Amino acid sequence: MATVTRVPRTSVVLSDRKARLMATPFRHVDLVLLGSTIAIAFLGVLMIYSSTQPRLASEHIDQLYFVKRQVAAILVGIGLMVGVMAIDYRKLRDLGPLFYGATVLGLLAVLSPLGHATKGAQARFPLPGGFELQPSEFAKFALIVALAAYLSQHRGDLDAWRVAVTLTLAVIPIGLVLLQPDLGTDLVLVVILLGLLTVSGVKARHLVVLLLLAATAVGAVVQLGVLKRYQVDRLTSFLHQGQNTKGATYNVNQSKIAIANGHLTGKGFHKGTQTRLGFVPEQHTDFIFTVVGEELGFAGGATLLALFALIMWRTWRIAALAGDMFGSLLCVGVLAMLGFQVFENVGMTMGIMPVTGIPLPWMSYGGSAVMAYFMCIGLVLNVHMRRFT
Amino acid sequence: MTEGSRVRLMVVGVVVFAVFSALFARLWFLQVVSGNEVAAAVQTNSVRTVRIPAPRGEILDAKGNLLVDNAVVNAITVRRNLVGKERTVVVNRLAGLLRKPVPQIEKNLNDPRVSPYSAVPVATNVPFDQLAYVKEHQQDFPDVDAVSLTVRRYHLWGGMPVAPQVLGYVGEINGDELKARKGQGYALGDTVGKSGVEQSMEPELRGVAGYDKLEVDNTGRVVRVIAHKDPVPGDNVYLTIDANLQGTAQKALNDAMTQDRILRDPSIKDHFQTFNAPGGAFVLMDAHDGSVKAMASEPDYDPNQFVQGNGIPTPTWKWLNDPAHAYPLTNRAVQGLYAPGSTFKLVTATAMLQSGFRGPNTTYRDTGQFACCKGQPPFKNDHGTAYGTVDLSRALTVSSDAYFYTVGYGFWQAYKAGFGGHNIQDAATAYGFGSPTGIALADESKGRVPDAAWKVAFNKNNADPVAKQQNSIWNPGDNILLATGQGDLLVTPLQLASAYMTFADGGTRWVPRVVDKVTDYRGRLIRTYPAVQKPGVTLPAGSDAIQAGLEGVTKDPKGTAAGAFAGFPLDQIPVMAKTGTAQVQGKSATSVFVAVSNPGGPYSYVATSFVEEAGYGAAVSAPIVRHVFDAVYGLPSTPQVQIDAAANTAAGN
Repeated sequence: MATVTRVPRTSVVLSDRKARLMATPFRHVDLVLLGSTIAIAFLGVLMIYSSTQPRLASEHIDQLYFVKRQVAAILVGIGLMVGVMAIDYRKLRDLGPLFYGATVLGLLAVLSPLGHATKGAQARFPLPGGFELQPSEFAKFALIVALAAYLSQHRGDLDAWRVAVTLTLAVIPIGLVLLQPDLGTDLVLVVILLGLLTVSGVKARHLVVLLLLAATAVGAVVQLGVLKRYQVDRLTSFLHQGQNTKGATYNVNQSKIAIANGHLTGKGFHKGTQTRLGFVPEQHTDFIFTVVGEELGFAGGATLLALFALIMWRTWRIAALAGDMFGSLLCVGVLAMLGFQVFENVGMTMGIMPVTGIPLPWMSYGGSAVMAYFMCIGLVLNVHMRRFT
Repeated sequence: MTEGSRVRLMVVGVVVFAVFSALFARLWFLQVVSGNEVAAAVQTNSVRTVRIPAPRGEILDAKGNLLVDNAVVNAITVRRNLVGKERTVVVNRLAGLLRKPVPQIEKNLNDPRVSPYSAVPVATNVPFDQLAYVKEHQQDFPDVDAVSLTVRRYHLWGGMPVAPQVLGYVGEINGDELKARKGQGYALGDTVGKSGVEQSMEPELRGVAGYDKLEVDNTGRVVRVIAHKDPVPGDNVYLTIDANLQGTAQKALNDAMTQDRILRDPSIKDHFQTFNAPGGAFVLMDAHDGSVKAMASEPDYDPNQFVQGNGIPTPTWKWLNDPAHAYPLTNRAVQGLYAPGSTFKLVTATAMLQSGFRGPNTTYRDTGQFACCKGQPPFKNDHGTAYGTVDLSRALTVSSDAYFYTVGYGFWQAYKAGFGGHNIQDAATAYGFGSPTGIALADESKGRVPDAAWKVAFNKNNADPVAKQQNSIWNPGDNILLATGQGDLLVTPLQLASAYMTFADGGTRWVPRVVDKVTDYRGRLIRTYPAVQKPGVTLPAGSDAIQAGLEGVTKDPKGTAAGAFAGFPLDQIPVMAKTGTAQVQGKSATSVFVAVSNPGGPYSYVATSFVEEAGYGAAVSAPIVRHVFDAVYGLPSTPQVQIDAAANTAAGN
């Protein structure tokens, strides 16, 4: 009967192991998702180097100025991501109102003299060392958590009133961002809202009404002069590309030329002529995809898109596998945000979407954005890690 | 998760999938399908081709002295894309730096003669510190460049421009010239020869432009040179001109005109009036082959005015084209049209001997006048002087008009009787009058040899039928005046010199040549321009009487140019010559002289001088030719030409 004593021992060992497994969700990290994210961020650093080095060198400034700052942002971002992962996402639900409140305060403060205006938008807090903090990027994270929390709490019972509450929650940060003005971020916030509403089970007729309302609002914004002239020009210029080589379509034309110049295999890293000669404006930020297109060609561009697709797929899969509605909605919010940003940004550089200031996640130079996207991926990984508990 | 949510999550997934498919498709289309179409766009984006103009060939004289070459001057240029407020600011800064008034710089910038694609020079010969300041403060001077400009440099001889009308000048090509030279590789901003040798030898002088293919960045800054081709400098043109003789001739012509302007014109009796002597021409050729050794035209100009900075300043251009300044740009030696006066008697004498109208030794009693027709005043000799019994030789030496009036009238009678009578015109044509000599200079005049047909054609458009009919008749007077080089006859100085050269060379007619050879910029001979003949003149028997008569002009004490050639070693170097004093309606006479030194022998030269509104040929033009002959043969001479005022009142023209 010696075995009798061994069985419970074994079972004890097994249950211990299981317990340990349950207790260390970090062993369930989705490595494909994490790996894709870090690969994209790494590629982004190379592309930022490629697009900024010639000009910095010619002006005798530190040739790695942008690279160093981006690497720092990535490291901080990974730290924040790990931080987000460490807290059980279900506890984050309780922190939802806190994130939300902090975001609204931040968005209010940036409009005050505390914030400063660059490139026509009052969107950043200046920090020591020349760094800047852009609260609207973190607003995406906060809105996802807050809306997912509210909607999951009332799932199956989303009447018109609760939809109205959800809308109100969303409209406050959207309105504050519009005051900066930052149209691109607002579009992202709206897409997050729509994605969450769709999957959370809002009634189809409510969704239709909302879409109509949104369309009317966009029309009103364009027509009633809320937007500045250049914003309207940028939005509509993609309808008549190639006509004006120096005006609003200049960016897009130069962008398309650069991408097309890459052909199948690209000019080679750091060898893109349009890139090195600085023909594409804002190339290390919003138009970073043109560097990939020109220097790495279709092979590189398609690989990058594939990496993004991989992230989309994993996030979508985690949304489906999640242990609860809140987890699913967190993933859907991130999915909506990333999917829209990649489509809008890459589409814009290729001339099939209007030009709006939306960065390409992890690729575009910009610390706040990189950190916010890492935090968002942290949410998704968090949901994945704890799907069995 | 509810079933409804799952379905909706599926929908979201499908949307994301569709969106990514669209991105892949677009990327494929842009990079792989239409990739080649953008190659051109990339080119125009970043590649600029900059022409490097070829240095223009040099022009040298027969002995290899530099007449024209290129100089490099420091200049400050402003590109035309400077506009608006920035332009105001930059122009003000430039004005302060260059110490020039703002309106002047603005005027330069607005100069319509500078191509809109080329930078406008606002200052040339800029001191180094100003150049350096612009280069060091480039950010304060956008679109301003400190550059080295290559400009044409015309060397001076004793402070004078050398043969400016022969050399010509250059300028920026204009629209019409560009159109006319399509396919020859000209571009806006190119320099082309606008007159003289610069124009006629343009294909040799221009060279082949090079280029820089540059890669530029979005601000137009040059990043690297993709390709470079050196320009090929233009060929060097050697002229037949001798710079020393040219300078001597120009100075003699100029000095003679200056001296003449303080002399009274004695033909104006009722009041005191000096000669105007506004212009003149001089030609010296080697009588063996027509090589032009000197060709002067006064007044002249400094071609360097055309090449400084922005081309010629508008006021200077206006000044040069103002009739009050007697057209300095005109090369009177080939473009000036004059009545040759008595110098034309060579042609009449040739026609007379050819026709047998009168033999060389047949005498004629000169009573000082010739009355051809009833009811008309007689045609008179100068001062009405009667020369008594003269043969052909004597008639030329003393310049008897009456002798040649009768010849002209005789031919008219033959014309009237229907036996031709075009002998003088035919001889003139054979000597080359009435058509361009063919010298390699642009815009040569052909002159005019009048005859009956010409007169009809000339009056063809007369509106008054009676006047038309009257004026179209070839009258005796027409042919009589023609015989003495007056009336409607017009010749260029070069034609006259060419005619005398033809006679001196036994009837062989050489095309005057001004270009001797062309070498490439390294000095290798490319081409020579040998002397070319045209159908000449068959000199009639008795032509030696013409030569003797013309030699008497300088040698015989009664010769009209005996004074001018006093002291010249005529025994060693005989000079056959003829004075001419061509009457011009309402003006003082044109002083004409033509001479051939050592005719038929070695070192034989032909020279002619025309001075407008200047008096007798013997008074002004003969001394000029004498002075130049002194220089040709290295004879002692006065430092300045001495015109002969007394000849204006002596008999004989």
